[in-house]
Amino acid sequence: MNRPHIAIEHKKLANGLHAVVAPDSTAPVVTVGVYYKIGFRLEPQGRSGFAHLFEHMMFQGSANAPKMQHIKLINSSGGVLNGSTSYDVTNYYEAVPSNALERVLWLEADRMRALKVDEENLKNQRDVVKEEVRVNVMNEPYGGFPWLDMPPVAFRNWANAHNFYGDFADLDAAHLGDVQAFFKTYYVPNNAVLLLLGDVKAGEGMALAEKHFGGIPAGGAPAFADPTEPEQTEERRGHVVEQFGTLPAMAIGYLMPKRRTADWCAMALLDQALHGGRAGRIHRVLVQEKQIAVDIEGGVDDLFGYNGPTQMTTRIMHKPEYSSEETLAAFDAVIGEVREKGISADELEQLKVKWRSDYYATLESGRGGYMPKYGLMHLLACFTLFDNEPQLVNTILDGFLAVTPEEIHSVAKKYLRNEKRAIVFRTPARAGVKEAA
Amino acid sequence: MASRTVEVATGVPPLAPEREVIWPKRAKKQLANGLEVILAESHSIPKFHGELLLRSGNATVADRAPGLAEMTASVLRSGTRKRGSRKIEEDLRRIGADLSTQAGSDVSAVSFSGLSEFAEPLLDLVQELAREASFPEADFERERRQKLEEVKLNRTQPSFLANERLRKVLFGAHPYALVSPTEAQVAAYKREELQSVYREFYTPQNALLLLVGDFEPQEMLKSIEKVFGPWSGKKPEPRTFPAPASPRGRRVYLVHVPGAVQTQILAGCHAITRKHPDWIKLGLTNSLYGGAFNSRLVMNIREDKGYTYSPRSAVNALRQHGFFSVSAAVRNDVVAASLTEMFYELDKLRSLPVPPAELADAQNYLSGVFSLSLATQDGLLTQFSNVAQHELPDDYLETYRAKVRAVTSEDLLATARKYLDSANLQVVLVGDRAQIESQAALFGELEIFDAQGNRI
Repeated sequence: MNRPHIAIEHKKLANGLHAVVAPDSTAPVVTVGVYYKIGFRLEPQGRSGFAHLFEHMMFQGSANAPKMQHIKLINSSGGVLNGSTSYDVTNYYEAVPSNALERVLWLEADRMRALKVDEENLKNQRDVVKEEVRVNVMNEPYGGFPWLDMPPVAFRNWANAHNFYGDFADLDAAHLGDVQAFFKTYYVPNNAVLLLLGDVKAGEGMALAEKHFGGIPAGGAPAFADPTEPEQTEERRGHVVEQFGTLPAMAIGYLMPKRRTADWCAMALLDQALHGGRAGRIHRVLVQEKQIAVDIEGGVDDLFGYNGPTQMTTRIMHKPEYSSEETLAAFDAVIGEVREKGISADELEQLKVKWRSDYYATLESGRGGYMPKYGLMHLLACFTLFDNEPQLVNTILDGFLAVTPEEIHSVAKKYLRNEKRAIVFRTPARAGVKEAA
Repeated sequence: MASRTVEVATGVPPLAPEREVIWPKRAKKQLANGLEVILAESHSIPKFHGELLLRSGNATVADRAPGLAEMTASVLRSGTRKRGSRKIEEDLRRIGADLSTQAGSDVSAVSFSGLSEFAEPLLDLVQELAREASFPEADFERERRQKLEEVKLNRTQPSFLANERLRKVLFGAHPYALVSPTEAQVAAYKREELQSVYREFYTPQNALLLLVGDFEPQEMLKSIEKVFGPWSGKKPEPRTFPAPASPRGRRVYLVHVPGAVQTQILAGCHAITRKHPDWIKLGLTNSLYGGAFNSRLVMNIREDKGYTYSPRSAVNALRQHGFFSVSAAVRNDVVAASLTEMFYELDKLRSLPVPPAELADAQNYLSGVFSLSLATQDGLLTQFSNVAQHELPDDYLETYRAKVRAVTSEDLLATARKYLDSANLQVVLVGDRAQIESQAALFGELEIFDAQGNRI
């Protein structure tokens, strides 16, 4: 077995910023990421959607690179850039020809040191974000299903249960003071990791990190709200109306174990047994054999990147001639079988080969073809911020490849229980659909 | 037009000298049965990506039924003479591979990736799908039902409705006008039709096998000879269709979606194919207009005015014809304002030379993004596939960046005047008629349709 090894340098600067360099001179390009350990889960109450709105503000100007300059300087250096907000982290990233590396670091450091935005920028980006929500959720069939529909049904702690994209009233209520306070609290070097991947030498990368980021003063240690959920003891159900589509849909989510436990590795492979493409049991049974569902997909949103309660979710679009309860019964039969019998050693071997193959792809692949090493960047960032151990990228695979059929059976019984799940039914507004009981 | 003064950055580090792209080693060969093979080494991970490309697609058989090549590709993976659907999927998993089958207007393809250690079994499955697909009746019926639901769902998606209408408007009686079959057309598909398409399209003389990844080319060629050598079959009769007339005069097509909380704008006009000598100049013009985050349109209607999240423009290359398009999903009350800015930025490019600094920025952008696309196995495959599909010269990729650098401001002005045909741009709006009809009517003669495509 030919396993790739990623060379990594990791150092914590005096101000608490983690710097990680993964040199690889194969192509003359470099990917830069800055991850802050704050996502939409722990954004302030009364300010739903703020972490994401704030992410937009990070492109609106900093002390030495006013509005529009950040984007202009990256694009005109031959690079692409973006940012994204997820449950527990927010990232900013650029991929550029390596001759623009220092420019990128200068820009990222400038906005970490001194964001400079005004009311006009905030109004502008609030408008942009509302159109983002309209195009992705409100004006789109099955928009937000289930990532926005599931949390309020599944969880009781506001941190896990609120609208992550933001209620428009909350977006409207956000003011410049909120932006400044959020920046001061969470966007401090001691709550972040800088990642340089690709065409840069380790020593040179570290020297550049020190040069541009070393002088940014540390902030206080951010206080984080507690995302712990009260123990779930009963199945939870919720209903959402689908305004556009004609197929009834449902999503079933089971609570996941904590990250980096033995159960977590076994659940990850069980997830693949259930949801791994067309060979996955749910697709095979519901779509191909029983032909109740038209399409299914599912899994854990971001296996390596969650740092609070999360679920493994199955999303099912089914034929209108089957009721929700009939569809759920077919799904339950698949779950019942793995709870009762586990999976065979042969099936587990197949899953491990596929897992290994997928993991290698993650190390190399980009986002949309133009962000090389995005997957590696994300792994390194999560392993640094949550585990203080970026080297895990070279060893994490071992835990998955060591999972036994007995462990799979054990986690199936332990986690795939009705009292640990939540179900959201997304029911078309148009007539002719049998309702769930 | 920006309503706010743009300030410049101070203290920006200069760019270091650019490093050359190192081109992967490539090997080309044509097998005795006519199959073209292109191999490129890329050792970033112990995997490889591949594509078996058939040079015929939906357009080729549009007179039989729209979407027939796509349906053929969908059912293709459901069974061969040797393996049923479940076995195919589990065999793929056993060797850590991914595989998909699809067809567009001009080509059909089996795309795949997998571990280098299992290259031969994956190639073997690909050739089995290409040679011995059995189109099981039950799988055909299942896929057809899924397709029916997909076709229904499409009609609830603003971006689909916009694209469907624009293609009809631009391409008329040409097969490129059809982006999807109707429900009735799907219901009328016959298994035998799929089998005919399969026999005609999936032949070595019509095929190209592209592989990029971690392998030793000579050994890989041997495997390919062994696996694909016995495949036989002729090239299908080439099909050509009368060129569609370019619509004259600006018209507005409103697709009425009651209650829509936003309006999808999509406007376009005829342009050129990738083979056309003006392609790179038009690509650069597009990137200045709305093809990059830093482009004029994005800076104007997103970053300055906040009308939209996702404005963009594109030059879309089909094999026989291309078209230029610009799109944005905007607030209902700023449809007219957004269109005004779209036209303003088009006309500005048609009237005023692009300042040299802005041209240099755009050249850097296209050149740099091109380098980025070569940094992964998948990205390389996409580039080689484009060259093959559009029959571009062998040195296309190697000379691309120099050609981008050679474009002048005068070239851009001439290109914009030739192809950004604002006077004849066809405008599609998908939204709630009550909210946007009066705004729409300001921009040209108006026709209104429902989501099913009926005039209302």
